[in-house]
Parts: sequence; structure tokens; C-alpha cells
Amino acid sequence: MSRLQLYGPFALLLVVLVLVAFPFYWMVLSSFTPKEALFRPPYQFFRLDFSLGNYRELLFATEFLRYFANSLIAAVGAIVLNVVAATLAGYGLTRFAFPGKKTFAFGTLFSYMFPPMLMAIPLYILFSALQMRNTYTGLILAHMAISLPLNIWLMWQYFQIVPPSLEEAAWVSGASRLRALRQVCLPSARPGILSVAIFSFALSWNDFTFAFLLQTDRHMFTLPVGLATFVEQTGVHWGMVMAAAVLVSMPTFLLVFFLQRYLLSGLRTAG
Amino acid sequence: MAISVRLEHLDKRFGRGARAVHAVRDLSLEIGERELFTFVGPSGCGKTTTLRMIAGLETPTAGRIWFGGTEVTTQPPQKRDIAMVFQDIALFPYMTVRQNIGYPLRIAALPRPRVDEKVERVAATLGLSDKLAMKPGQLSGGQQQRVAIGRAIIKEPKVLLMDEPLSALDARLRAEMRTEILRLHREISATIIYVTHDQIEAMTMSTRVAVMDQGRALQIDPPRTIFRRPADMTVATFIGTPAMNIIRASVVATPGGLAIDLLGQQVPLPPRHHAALQGLKRVAVGVRPHALRLVMPAPDRITGRVFLREPLGLEDEVLVEMANGTQVKVVAAAGEEFPERAAVGLDFAPADLYLFHSESGGAICHGIA
Repeated sequence: MSRLQLYGPFALLLVVLVLVAFPFYWMVLSSFTPKEALFRPPYQFFRLDFSLGNYRELLFATEFLRYFANSLIAAVGAIVLNVVAATLAGYGLTRFAFPGKKTFAFGTLFSYMFPPMLMAIPLYILFSALQMRNTYTGLILAHMAISLPLNIWLMWQYFQIVPPSLEEAAWVSGASRLRALRQVCLPSARPGILSVAIFSFALSWNDFTFAFLLQTDRHMFTLPVGLATFVEQTGVHWGMVMAAAVLVSMPTFLLVFFLQRYLLSGLRTAG
Repeated sequence: MAISVRLEHLDKRFGRGARAVHAVRDLSLEIGERELFTFVGPSGCGKTTTLRMIAGLETPTAGRIWFGGTEVTTQPPQKRDIAMVFQDIALFPYMTVRQNIGYPLRIAALPRPRVDEKVERVAATLGLSDKLAMKPGQLSGGQQQRVAIGRAIIKEPKVLLMDEPLSALDARLRAEMRTEILRLHREISATIIYVTHDQIEAMTMSTRVAVMDQGRALQIDPPRTIFRRPADMTVATFIGTPAMNIIRASVVATPGGLAIDLLGQQVPLPPRHHAALQGLKRVAVGVRPHALRLVMPAPDRITGRVFLREPLGLEDEVLVEMANGTQVKVVAAAGEEFPERAAVGLDFAPADLYLFHSESGGAICHGIA
């Protein structure tokens, strides 16, 4: 085998890695650079004037923590409700025969095609009438409206590959339907459940449209909306924005980092 | 304690209208305590559907199911005192062998030490003692099937249902597991109901066999009776390998009484068969390949040419073609005699000929003597 064949793929991987990782590196680097040093030429790739000033200002002089907490509550709520609803719906679609089942399944996927803005305005009117604007419940339900259709579809597909005989074996062993679902069906569908959790988290965590329209009270702002106000209030303080970006990306990073083992094992069983 | 199982006019349809499938038609039978009763038939004959109705996994469209003196027709599987081994084995992939076998006892909420003790005893009888910590994926097909059987027998069910449990295994393992199941039947006190499409499994293991076709039980009898006295042509050709030859023949009147013209050779019929054949012009003659012998051609014999000769080891399967195109299979001793394309005569004893109605397929007599 020639040297090119041996090292070529690694060289290619290195190039891709640099392309992907550099913005991330630049974000982390800038977040630790003091305000005065950030726009002072020469712009260097490696700097050592390390400072926590941006973080101190972000955490103690702004409402960043408040927004962070709001986003976290909305995301956790969206994950829990999505997982419960999508799992039960997907299970029902594969294991029970009822009239209009196909139409229902395709209807859910169809409703996923709507742009969020199309739903946001009716939801604004609806939630105003129900006095659910500026509440966590309202925001979580709005986030579910965009993520649940695809999640149901996903779980429907996953339950189709779990053999019904597994559950039947549990039933004849004496297990109730709910127990068989919990102990036998769900472990086999775990990769699907994790996909649903990650997808629900990502949609909720990144949502701007619904949070911007529905949460008009400053105290109920989520991170994407809150960060946008940084730009208006103080001019653009890039160091602080970068520090916020680092903290915002942390939960996503941690989630994927700890779940990748399961996600990969899911890919292996599916392939 | 075992229990008898009784099916009364059991009927099952799937779907509605033009696409409806009539899987089981008016099936009535009684399976005695501690029997090893087998449903056998080609795929789609309704045998698995029948088993699933006994398990409570399907609800009959009509009819009743009784376990002993209790009607269970509408009871869910959890309420019936049964266990089942599935065609695709269906072990829980995320549980160890120990957890799989012990699962029914954990559901029955037995204390942990009791469960462990019983699991270890069952595992020992099935030769799985050193596999308890493994996951099903780490076991061979035969070991997985043993685990599935262990999970079924651990709660000592009154009725043990087996749905083609050996079909996922290779031929050698299948033979091994057949012996295992027979041993099990002797050792545990359960009524075993077994479903298979493999007639060898049905014939070698069962106390009684129900041969099914198109949702109906064609014959319910002990294996030997099914082989020797098949109720009709379908049963006769389904049971036995290679399959029984069916030859169209005509009934002729001769000076000595009625006879059958079988491929040009006349087989006289003793008077006791005359009444059954009165008025019939044509019959179907069944003869098993083992009952035919290859002999030198002679004018008063059925003669043909060897069309194909397949060596099987001890014996050869020989396909003989007659002048009119009829093909007859013969099992003969392995050898060089009568190679392909050679002229050959067929010899047989009239006692080995079965007669069937050519339209309905019903048996007229088992052996002419």
C-alpha cells in the first residue's frame, strides 16, 4: 500500500476537522479575551491574555442566568412531554388497528411541513384567550407543536422494527400490556427515544419564533430572544456575546457527548 | 398438573369483505391431559392461528375454548395458565439468560432467592448453567432455543404451546432438539401443543397429530394411523417422504369381477371392495415410493424408462416415466442396476395400494387384499 493511500484519508480528515473546529475554537478564544484586546491589531490565532471578564459581566451584569433557566425549563418540559407522547403514539400506531390510522400517520408528517411562523400567530391569539402567554406551559406546548409530529413519525418507525413476539412472550409470561411495554418494548426502542429527546431539545433550545412572539415579559425570555437584546442594548459587545455562545452551546455539547454511545449503538442495531 | 384443552366449533376470519381471510373453519377437537398434540400442515393452513387462539393472542370469530372445565375463550393470555415458545425465539435482548429464564417468576413476584434457585435448576436440566450471565446475542441458535424453552417451563404451566420452535435451527440441531423436547414431555407434567410444518417432527414426537389444510383439520389421529390409514389424498401425500405417488386409474369389469387398470396392468379387486367401488369409473391410486420395486420389464408388468436417478446414500430415488407421460417415484437400493434411460418394470403388492375418490380425494380403502 502506498504512502498516499495510507495517510491520504487522515490528511482529508484533518482538513475537515480544521474547517469544523476553527469557529468553535475562535468562539472559545474570543470569550476569554478582554474587551480592550479583542479589536486591537494584530489579530493573532494564539493569544495568552486570558481573562474571565466577559463571563463575569455576562453572569452578574445581565439577566443571562434568568434566560438560561427559562430555556432549560422549556427544553426539559419539551423533552419529557415529547418522549411520553411520541412513545405512546408510536406504540399505538404499530400495535393497534383503528380506522383512519394511515391518514393519521401521514397527517402528522404533513403538519410538520408548516413553517413555525404559520402556527405562531394563531397560537398567539389562542394563548392570549387562554391567558397562556408568558407561561412555561404555553411555551412548552408551542415547542411540542413543531417537534411532536416528526417525533411520532420517528417512534412509529422504531416500533415497527421491534418484533411483536417479544411483547407476546412477555404477555404469556404474565406481564400486563403496560409492563411489557416498559420492560420489553422500550429497551429495544431506546435509540429512538434518545433521538426524540435530542431532537426535542434542539428545537426547543434553538427556537426564536415562538419564544419571541409568545413571551413578551422580559422575565420569561429564553436564551435566543435574550441574546438578541444584547445586540440592541449595549452595541455589540462581541466578547460577552461569545461568552454567552460558549455557555449556550454547553448543554447541547454535553447531551450529545453523553448520549453518543447510545446513539451509535442505535445506528449499529439498525444497520 | 396438566389440563385438557377443548376447542368447540372454532372459527377465525381476518379482515372484512373481499379481502377477508378465513384462517380457521369450524375446528372442534379435544386434547387430553399430558398429550403432545401436534398441528401440522403447509403454511397458511391455520395451525399457528389455532395455537394463538389457544394462547389468547387472537380472539376467535366464533366458537369456544375450554381448559378443563373452565371456558377461557375471551381471557387474555396473562390469565391463562400457559407458556409459549415462539417461532422467532423472542428472547429479551437486553436481559441476561438468567433474567430471561426468571422473567415469568419475577412477574409472579417470587422472592429473589427463590427465583435464582429455580432458574439454576431449570438451566441445569437444559445444559445452560455456564451461560446464565450471557446475553442472548452471545449464544448459538440451539442455546437460544433452550433458553426460550427454559423461560416457558419455569413457571410449570398447565399448557405448553410451541409454535414451530425448531424452524430457525439447522438440520442437525433440529434432530437434537427433537429428542430434547421428547425428554421434556416425559419429565414435565404439562399438556404440550406443538405446531410445525415439518411432518417428520409431527410424526416422531406426537401422541396425536392434526393434519390441517385451508383452515380445516383433515385428520386427527396417532402418527402411525395417519401414515397407514390417511383419511384422504391430501393427508396421504403430505405425510411421508418422498411423497406418495398418486396415479389416475380406471375401474374395469373383467370375467373375474371388478379390477383396476393401473397403467395397463390389471389389478383384480377382491369382492369385499366391490360395494365401495360400484358405479365409479375412475379412481386415484396411491402408492408409496418405498412400496415399489424396480424389476426387469415383462409384458404383464407396468413398464417405463428411468428418467432420473438421485443417489441418497443407502438408497436412490428413481423417477420412472411411463409411455403416457405419467411419472412415478421409486425408492430403490443404491446401485448401478437400471441406470438413467434404461427400460424398467415396476413390481408391487396389491396390499400397498391405496384407493381414493378421484374427485373428493376421500379414501376408499387402505390396501387391496
